[in-house]
Amino acid sequence: MSGTTNGHDTPVNTDSGHEAGAAAPSSGNGHGGDGHGIGSGPGRVLVAVYAVFALAAGSRAAVQIARQFDEAPLAYSLSAFAAVVYLLLAVALAMGRRTLALVACGIELAGVLIVGTLSLADPEAFPKATVWSGFGSGYVFIPMVLPLIGLYWLSRRRQP
Amino acid sequence: MIDPLAIGLIVLALVIALVSLLTTALNKAMGNLLLVALGVLELGLLIQAGFLIAALVRGEGPEETATLIGYMLGTVVIPPVAAFWGVGERSRWGPAVIAVAGFAIPGMVGRMMQIWQGVA
Repeated sequence: MSGTTNGHDTPVNTDSGHEAGAAAPSSGNGHGGDGHGIGSGPGRVLVAVYAVFALAAGSRAAVQIARQFDEAPLAYSLSAFAAVVYLLLAVALAMGRRTLALVACGIELAGVLIVGTLSLADPEAFPKATVWSGFGSGYVFIPMVLPLIGLYWLSRRRQP
Repeated sequence: MIDPLAIGLIVLALVIALVSLLTTALNKAMGNLLLVALGVLELGLLIQAGFLIAALVRGEGPEETATLIGYMLGTVVIPPVAAFWGVGERSRWGPAVIAVAGFAIPGMVGRMMQIWQGVA
């Protein structure tokens, strides 16, 4: 990939400057903020992915908790918690809240590592799968990869 | 649930996803073509939701009604939100947002078909 991001010069996208030039003022995050730019460019795609996962995990957890919470209270609560973290992360990135995004990314990474390990070490504690079970194996390991991509992205867009 | 419509929606969503990826790969911003295609997809998803609601009201729904409704609401919400979020980004990453939605819809419609047939 050539010239995709611009972690050290300007906050607006330069990878397609000929098109972005006219629309740049309307993007609304050209100046200020402690993490400007983290919700633009590739960050937009991250926001979309996190939002889809928040929707997927959240609605699944909502149905499970409403219908059969007693079957696996821990697993279903964890799924709901994971959904909240995904949503928090999407909102933090979209609004340029860098610290919040970092914290949410950290929680997500810790969650998938801890729950992933526990679900393999003690399967009986997790009779029903969560988003984080088996390091996200039920979702082609995307839950494992997402926080890593998020942290990488946040470090790329660090402003001096 | 109408299978031809559902399959058509899956194919259309996948085509949108692939065209979006191609647009991103070619380093171009969102064009009108993608927006129109998203509009058609949304229209189809709304029609499908209408048929589903009608069937549910008649009591022809599957056992997992709540899950089905969850997926149905998700499919209807995703394309407009993706269009809004993608248009706001005037770079190659705008269509990449549409690609995310384009890959999410087939999965959700596929799950709806499974639930409808009582497979899962």
